[in-house]
Amino acid sequence: MIRKTTAVWAGKATGALSRITKRGGGTTLPGDVARAIDPKILSRLAQDLTQGSIVITGTNGKTTTARLVTWLLEGAGHRVVSNRAGANLIFGATAAALNRAGVDGRLRADWGVFEIDEASLPRAVAELQPKATLVLNLFRDQLDRYGELESIAKKIELALTTLPEDARAILNADDPRVAEIGLGLLKKPTWYGLDDTSVASKTLPHAADARTCPRCGASLIFDAVYVGHDGVYRCPNHDFARPTPELTATNITLNGFDSLALTIGGTRIEMPLGGLYNCYNVLAAYATACSLGLDPKYIAERLRTFKAAFGRQERIEFRGRHLILVLSKNPAGFNETVRTAVDLAHGTNFIIGLNDRKADGTDVSWIWDVDFEQLKDKAAVVIPAGVRANDLAVRLKYAGVPAQEPQTDPGKALDLLIKCTNEGDIAYLLCTYTAMLDLRGELVRRGWAQPYWET
Amino acid sequence: MRLTVGWLYPDLMNIYGDRGNILTLLKRAEWHGLEPKLVELGRGATGDMDDVDIFFFGGGQDREQALIYDDLKEFKQEPLQKAVANGAQILAVCGGYQLLGHYYQTADGERYDGIGLIDVRTEAGKKRYIGDIVIQMNIEGLIPATLVGFENHSGRTFLGPNAKPLGKILHGKGNNGSDRTEGCIQNGVIGTYMHGSLLPKNPHFADHLIGNAIRRRGDGALSRLDDSAELAAHDWILQRAQRH
Repeated sequence: MIRKTTAVWAGKATGALSRITKRGGGTTLPGDVARAIDPKILSRLAQDLTQGSIVITGTNGKTTTARLVTWLLEGAGHRVVSNRAGANLIFGATAAALNRAGVDGRLRADWGVFEIDEASLPRAVAELQPKATLVLNLFRDQLDRYGELESIAKKIELALTTLPEDARAILNADDPRVAEIGLGLLKKPTWYGLDDTSVASKTLPHAADARTCPRCGASLIFDAVYVGHDGVYRCPNHDFARPTPELTATNITLNGFDSLALTIGGTRIEMPLGGLYNCYNVLAAYATACSLGLDPKYIAERLRTFKAAFGRQERIEFRGRHLILVLSKNPAGFNETVRTAVDLAHGTNFIIGLNDRKADGTDVSWIWDVDFEQLKDKAAVVIPAGVRANDLAVRLKYAGVPAQEPQTDPGKALDLLIKCTNEGDIAYLLCTYTAMLDLRGELVRRGWAQPYWET
Repeated sequence: MRLTVGWLYPDLMNIYGDRGNILTLLKRAEWHGLEPKLVELGRGATGDMDDVDIFFFGGGQDREQALIYDDLKEFKQEPLQKAVANGAQILAVCGGYQLLGHYYQTADGERYDGIGLIDVRTEAGKKRYIGDIVIQMNIEGLIPATLVGFENHSGRTFLGPNAKPLGKILHGKGNNGSDRTEGCIQNGVIGTYMHGSLLPKNPHFADHLIGNAIRRRGDGALSRLDDSAELAAHDWILQRAQRH
C-alpha cells in the first residue's frame, strides 16, 4: 500500500512538473516514473474503480471512440478516468489513472475508459481486467514500428483469449481480420457492422489488406466496401463470411465534416461528427454503452452535443479562415479523410502534413498507397507540408494534382495558405500525428488556438 | 511506342507502398510520349506476359507471400524466364527480390525454393534492418549516381558469381549488413531491398529501366523531363544521411 501511494505521488509530481515546464501535457512520463516504483500500479489503481475498465483498440478511431464512450458514461453521472490525449501505450493509461488518483493513492472513479495501442493490448488486458474490450479495425499502419499486420492481429487474438470470465468482446464484423479473430473465440463476441449500400462502394481500395479467406486463401468477394477493407464479404468457397452483426447502422446520412445521422436498432442518432469512418466509431460506442446498460434514447440525446478530440475534426479560426484539422495517419485513414473532405464537404483548400518522426512512422512509403488522385480536378490549393513535404510534392505530382511549393516549416505553410486563400474560406489540414502537433503548435504560438492538453 | 508494365500480384504483394513504382513507370512513360499500358498479373493470370516490357514484383507480408508461392511456380516462372531471355526488364523489391533467387531459408532452417532467375540466396536474420538507405550505383552514366530509399527486412541476401550488386552502401544495411552491397543486377533483372517507393525519388533510375525496356524495339533514347521535385526529395534523403 505504501508502495502504491509512493508511486502515485512520484507520478503526480512528474506530471505537475511536466505541465509547469510546458514540456507537454504530462500524458505519459508520470506513468513511466510510477511504474518504475511499482510495476503493478495500474492494476492496483484499476481495482479502485467501482465499475471497471473498458479497453478500445484498433488501427483507426481509438481516440474518438474512447471519447464517445466517456461522453456517454459521464452524461449518465459516472465518474470516468480516461487517457484523453491519445497517449495509448500502457504508460499513457497509467499516467491517466495517476492523474485522477488522490493524495492517499486511491483512484476515485467508476469507469476507466482506455484507448490502447494494438501492440500493448495483451498487457492492458492483463493489468486492467476490462469489462468490455472493443476491437475497431486492423489496417496497415507504421510497418517500421509495428511490423506486419499479422503480428499485431496475433497480439490482439492472444489478449482476447485471456479476457476475464464476465468480460465482453465487442468486435467489428465488417473487418475480415477482426472477424477472423472473433470467430476463433470460445465465448461469442458482440458483433457490429454497417448495413447501408447507399454509402458503399463496390471495389476495394489499393490499400486494402485483409482480402483473402483465412481458411482457403481465396480472394474474398465484397458485396459492399465501406472503409478500407471493412465491408460485407464472403469467401467464394463458403469457408468464411462476415459474421451477422447484432447491431447494425442503417439509413446513413453524411453531411461533410459537419454531421452524420444513422439508425441503430430503431434509434435515430444525429450528431456533429463527419465521415463514414465515424459511423463505425459511433456504432462501436453505442454497442458498448448498450452493453453497459445505458438507454438508447439517452444515448441518442447525449450524442447530439458531442465535441471531437484535439486534431480530430477540430475547428480553429485563423486570420478569417476556417481551419478543420483532421488527423490522417495511414492509408485507410487518409483515404477516408480525403474522401470526406472532397466528396462530402466539397473542400478545395488543403494543407497536407507529413512527418517521419517516431510517432508518425519513419517510413513514408505508405503515401503511395493513399489515393491522393481523389484531389485531382477538385482541389484548388494544395500545400505539401511537414518534414517530408518534398515526398508529398512528388506523390501529388504523380497523382496529377497541381500543388504549391513544399513547405517543411509549419509557419511558412500557414503563411502560404493565407496568401493562397481569402477570408471566409475553409481549409482542411490533413496531417500525420506530429505534423498536426507542429501546425497546431504554430497556431498556439500565434494565439489562435489553445494548447492541446487544455482542450 | 507502347510500354507495357506487368504488375505481379498487385493485391497481395504490395506492402511497402510499392504502387509508387507502378505509378512512376506509367506516368513517366506518358511524359516521354510513350503509350503506357498496365497488366495486372494476379493469381491464376498467365495472359499477356509475352507483351510485358517491365515487370514489377513487390514485397508482401508472410501470410500473403505464402498465398502466391505455388502460383508463382506454376504460372509465372516459365513466362518470366522467357520474357527475360527476350529482353524484358524485371524490378523486384524485398519479398519479390528474395523469391526470384534460389531460395529463402527461415530461422528454423526450412528452405523455400525461389524461381532461380537470379543468382542470390537469402537466409533469415535475427535483427530487422529498418531505416533510410543510400547506395552508389554500379550502373555507368546515370546522374545522380546515387539511389535513395527505405529498407525494412530481416532477410540476409548473398550474391553468387552471376549476379552483380546493384550498388555499394553509403548509408544503411543493404543485402546482408556485412559486405556493404545492396541489390543485384543480372541480365535484365534488378532485385533490391529499397522501397520508399524506390522509383519516384530516383527518376534517373526509372528512366534507365524504361530506356532498357524499349531499346529492344528501338534506340531507347528518352527525352529529358523536369525532375526538380523528384530530385529535391532525393537530395533531402542524401543530406539527412550525410548528417548521421
